[in-house]
Amino acid sequence: MQSSSKFSTCNHCNLEFSNEVMIYETISTKQFSFCCKGCQGVFHLLNNEGLDSFYDKVGSKKLHQVTNEKTDLTKFDLDGFSKKYITNNDNLNEISLIIEGIHCSACVWLNERILHESDGIIDANINYTNHKAKITWDPAVLKLSDIIRKIQSVGYNAYAYDATLQEERTNKTRKEYYSRLIVGIFCTMNIMWIAVAQYAGFFTGITQGIKDILNYAELVLATPALFYTGWPYFKGAFYGLKNKIVNMDFLIVAGTFSTYVYSIYVTISQVGEVYFESVTMVVTIIFAGKYLEVLSKKNAVDSLDSISSSIPTEITVIRDGKKIIIDTTEVVIGDLVEIKPGEKIAIDGILLQGTGSFDESSISGESLPVYKKANDIITSGTVCLDSVITYKANKDLSHSMLQSITTLLEESLTKKPKIEKIANQISGYFSLMVLSMAVLTCVGWYLLGISFEDAFIISISVVVIACPCALGLATPVATLIGVTVGAKKGILFKTSSHLETMAKATTIVLDKTGTITKGSPDVIKFVRNEEFDLNILYSLVKSSSHPISKAIVGYIDNKYKNSHEYSLLNIKNIEARGLSAQYKNDKIYGGNIEFIKEMNIKCEINCSRSIFIFAINDKIICFFELEDQLKQGAIETIENIKKLGIDVIMCTGDNEIVANNIAKQVGISKIYSSMLPKQKANVVSELQHNGEIVITVGDGINDALALSKSDISIAMGNNTDLTVKVSDIIFINNKITTLYDALLLSRKVFSTIKQNLLFSLFYNFVTILFAVLGFVIPVVAAVSMSLSSLAVVGNSIRIKRIFKDG
Amino acid sequence: MDDNVVSAMLLVSLGLGSLGLGAFLWGLKTGQFDDANKFLDGALHDSEEDLNVAKKIKDRKDNLKKDK
Repeated sequence: MQSSSKFSTCNHCNLEFSNEVMIYETISTKQFSFCCKGCQGVFHLLNNEGLDSFYDKVGSKKLHQVTNEKTDLTKFDLDGFSKKYITNNDNLNEISLIIEGIHCSACVWLNERILHESDGIIDANINYTNHKAKITWDPAVLKLSDIIRKIQSVGYNAYAYDATLQEERTNKTRKEYYSRLIVGIFCTMNIMWIAVAQYAGFFTGITQGIKDILNYAELVLATPALFYTGWPYFKGAFYGLKNKIVNMDFLIVAGTFSTYVYSIYVTISQVGEVYFESVTMVVTIIFAGKYLEVLSKKNAVDSLDSISSSIPTEITVIRDGKKIIIDTTEVVIGDLVEIKPGEKIAIDGILLQGTGSFDESSISGESLPVYKKANDIITSGTVCLDSVITYKANKDLSHSMLQSITTLLEESLTKKPKIEKIANQISGYFSLMVLSMAVLTCVGWYLLGISFEDAFIISISVVVIACPCALGLATPVATLIGVTVGAKKGILFKTSSHLETMAKATTIVLDKTGTITKGSPDVIKFVRNEEFDLNILYSLVKSSSHPISKAIVGYIDNKYKNSHEYSLLNIKNIEARGLSAQYKNDKIYGGNIEFIKEMNIKCEINCSRSIFIFAINDKIICFFELEDQLKQGAIETIENIKKLGIDVIMCTGDNEIVANNIAKQVGISKIYSSMLPKQKANVVSELQHNGEIVITVGDGINDALALSKSDISIAMGNNTDLTVKVSDIIFINNKITTLYDALLLSRKVFSTIKQNLLFSLFYNFVTILFAVLGFVIPVVAAVSMSLSSLAVVGNSIRIKRIFKDG
Repeated sequence: MDDNVVSAMLLVSLGLGSLGLGAFLWGLKTGQFDDANKFLDGALHDSEEDLNVAKKIKDRKDNLKKDK
């Protein structure tokens, strides 16, 4: 192991620590060092179990430090828990877990091994990419809590999630769609080289015998492409017809299927040219677009699962003076609920005992913790940061804030696709028009006295020429390229049709915290009254997880490279005020102005921003001023968006002063402050009522309702709560500048689609005219079809150049 | 070129192609591509002991099937 003079590396987790805090141990003349008892324990366990080859596999990769906390595992054996998460099959239990702390494939190996070694485990399979595990076991031999204990014993943690809810379903569709796509691509690739032979044969001469062979080979390839790859379209068309709607699916089916039937007729009758290759190509290309949509949905669900599993399912209540853990659904109004530091609140209530700071950012968007005392209202979705409190539930789970927002969201989700309906209607009219024109052509020619067979072929040629190229390729190719270019820029479109709506948007509603600002305070001023050992301060703030402490840790880490921790004694976390501890013979304090005054230290600092003062004994040594700062590029982005002619509105849960301050900095004149989630949604509805097309950008549960109401909703990346579920577009890089990129991209894609449609409609108009008149010889149709497809594809590829110029 | 040669060539090439496609679809269905990283790194972690554990798990599953 590497070790410099002052630091040594832990033999388990590979993290570096100061020599002072290390635990040394000599095992058969070899010296080992550990950063904590937890790591030491795991190291011994692995050696005793014969799993020490784990360390060869890990190499020099750094792991999590093993936390020695013994969490209460009884909740895993409760009825409510097993009802929710465990499925029972033939007396075997199955559960899906997310394993925390997995860094590399060696971690996966270790977890699987430790589970496989224990009796009663039938199967344990851990996915390396998303850290999800599926475990099957015999409940007669061991309990779930034993399994979790096993995982914890080697230094990892596991929590359950409900796989049936989202993942299983999306995974299944993704796999199914992937198979369909692969079959489609295989058929297209093969049919194309056969088609090339046929094109060549047409110009250089080909015997009918060879032509027949090629035709039959194409038939064999086109059949699975149309009926297997294209099956979702047949299903869509069927359900459409059942509801008396002629939709886009029907157009695709009508076009490809009639071409297919016509080509079979040509193959058998040996007259004319076949169009199997265009059937296969059109089905596959359109399907590729659909597959991309499914794929991005899967990504969204993956990140959603790990978040929703952090919403508590059990809760500690005090009944008849006894603390019991029950399922959150069993809580009744009037129950006394106990919350420990770091726990998320699941039930609304009123605080009875204790005081503490609460992180309300996910509900109100307020970036700084809120201090609460007896009789204050506790809202679900907030997190208690620093103390043990008892409160009285005044609502049950289904009426609590968090749950009621979720319910409202689910309702609005089912109502959403308004725009899609309109798009479908238009394409429905188009396909009706084409179909009726085909019928009229057939009847017309028949009445003019030609044979029914010839009339039918002419009418089929109308459908063939109209369908595949016009709406078939113009939109999907452009959106496909748009979606891919977007993905490279960190913009994930859940459905490609959102590109179009986004391009038409007239108003943008922005959330403040986490969207325009970074969402956590930053040190903007550091005043040092006298020289001192900065590491003392560093050790003190490192002991707290309060956002202000974290900001200071980040600031010191950034500015002063070699800071390290001392061990402090008597660390106390005084709720919503500050920290105190002892270092050697000195008493050290860090906190806000009130805290310092309470400690009887003279303090004359005055500041409107958040402040953190550090004092040793009774002297103020230094202080920090902190503020939630703008995201990089926020000002330019908003200016650019305004230039596009889009109204920008800010809508935030924060108070008026903070809101106005930020709005002034970025140049937004319309501001709604102190908004609750429902009010935000009302603002959006009102705008829509006035005929605006609204984009909402947000990042927390507090924005979720507004997001679900708006025409286009965008979720900022790393704070993906419910937002991911309701949003249409996700910015994975969390930058506000991406918003402008997304707008540019969508406008570009939209204009390309318009050009494509215009071109192909004009083309259709001319060719349909010729087809109706019976002038189109099949080969002319084939060649012009390829040419028009090429024109559309080439025009769409220009979208790729959009970000290269700037 | 004789017609039969053309049809034989088509038959063989498409036959081989669909064989590969079939194998791929089978692999997909049995979950062999679900976790590419683990699958590839798994080769690094193979040892006699791991094989024994895998055998043990397989025996356990087989026993269960027999019991039914």
